[in-house]
Amino acid sequence: MTTPDLRLGVSLYSYTSEFAVTMTLDDCVEDVAEMGARGLEILGEAHVENYPSPSSTWLDAWFARNDRLGLTPTCLGSWVDTRRFPGRAMTVDEAVEQLETDLRLASQLGFRYLRPKLGVVTSDLEPDPVWLPATERVLELASELDVVVCPEIHWPSTIKSKVVDDYIALIERTGTRHFGLLIDTGVFHKSMHHRTGGVASRLGDGNARPPLTPVVPVSDLEDVMPYVVHVQAKFYEIDDDLVDHHIPWDEFLEVLVRHGWSGWLSSEYEGDYGVGRASDQLRRQHALIRLALQRLAPQEEVTP
Amino acid sequence: MLDTHMIQTRGFRNRAGGGFEVRLRLPYYRGLWASLVDGAAVTVDGERFAAEDIGWAIGSSSWSLEGMRADASARWPLEEPAVLTVPRSEPLSVGFHDVAVELRLRMSYIPEELQPTVWWEERKLVISQ
Repeated sequence: MTTPDLRLGVSLYSYTSEFAVTMTLDDCVEDVAEMGARGLEILGEAHVENYPSPSSTWLDAWFARNDRLGLTPTCLGSWVDTRRFPGRAMTVDEAVEQLETDLRLASQLGFRYLRPKLGVVTSDLEPDPVWLPATERVLELASELDVVVCPEIHWPSTIKSKVVDDYIALIERTGTRHFGLLIDTGVFHKSMHHRTGGVASRLGDGNARPPLTPVVPVSDLEDVMPYVVHVQAKFYEIDDDLVDHHIPWDEFLEVLVRHGWSGWLSSEYEGDYGVGRASDQLRRQHALIRLALQRLAPQEEVTP
Repeated sequence: MLDTHMIQTRGFRNRAGGGFEVRLRLPYYRGLWASLVDGAAVTVDGERFAAEDIGWAIGSSSWSLEGMRADASARWPLEEPAVLTVPRSEPLSVGFHDVAVELRLRMSYIPEELQPTVWWEERKLVISQ
């Protein structure tokens, strides 16, 4: 069994209610480093100034800041916005262009993983069919750049689903090492957290509601572990006793450790909005994860 | 830095050439292709202004709503409030106004029947001059 090497990082998604409001990009990245995380995940369309073409000044600052703070770029968030053109669908060529743009940006910024969020065409979140031919066409570029494309398995999608089977079939059929699964730990939530604060919003004008999905048991991970390349450690609230009532961290981490999985656990805080909440909750989660790993694999040194 | 609110305190003002402006922060977690904006309806003191009559400006670009939706390369970054230009024959009076905005955005990764995503907010804002 391989020795697991689990590294803690943070996605700047966590600072959604504060970015450009109470915190600059510098503030967010400094906060990530200060809590002892070593991996940095960003969203291209949120955090790269003048996306998708950052200035040389922005790029210089990006590298200098990461060097100074000892941060490694982990995963770049990307979107294939298949509804981008009013009145018509996105073509395969346009999806390829979006993926190539983001692969090149990921490589330019030093990321090893690219998470494309794909448009969907059905109520049960079947991805737009452009995803398959477009992905196949960019695998060579991904290989050249050594960036792994990893769509996320995110609530309300489940692990035992056609979409995950299709992703795995692509990997098996092509033998690619540059496509994998990203697990968002929100799929394992035991109870729903209703986020408070922020600007009021609703989905649609009718009475439609998101699909009801069963609780995904952590054991569903067992079969797909060989394909998992990155984890977004989604969480909503960690209480004053350092307990997470929503995400079963012990069970989840036990599977990773037992499989000898190595990679980044990139924290995504998605709890209540409020000034300073992300910084506090992220530290709680890292403490919780480090303590759990000490119990699960006492001989392992979690880096750092 | 911007206000936490979607409707920004700064930038609510009468326009020299007629009508008024109101500024919006994108209340989402990423910047967007501007063609994904389905529009924003504005209501001031109960007077409703339809989304299709409201002009948009982001950074150095400005369009009608239709023009912005047709511009495939235009973006609305998180850090950049959009300036909505609202036609009105008379300027708004100096003092308080009840301002409401309903912003509609299309999300590609959410099933069609749950779209668009609609954000709304009401604020009491001041026309200061």
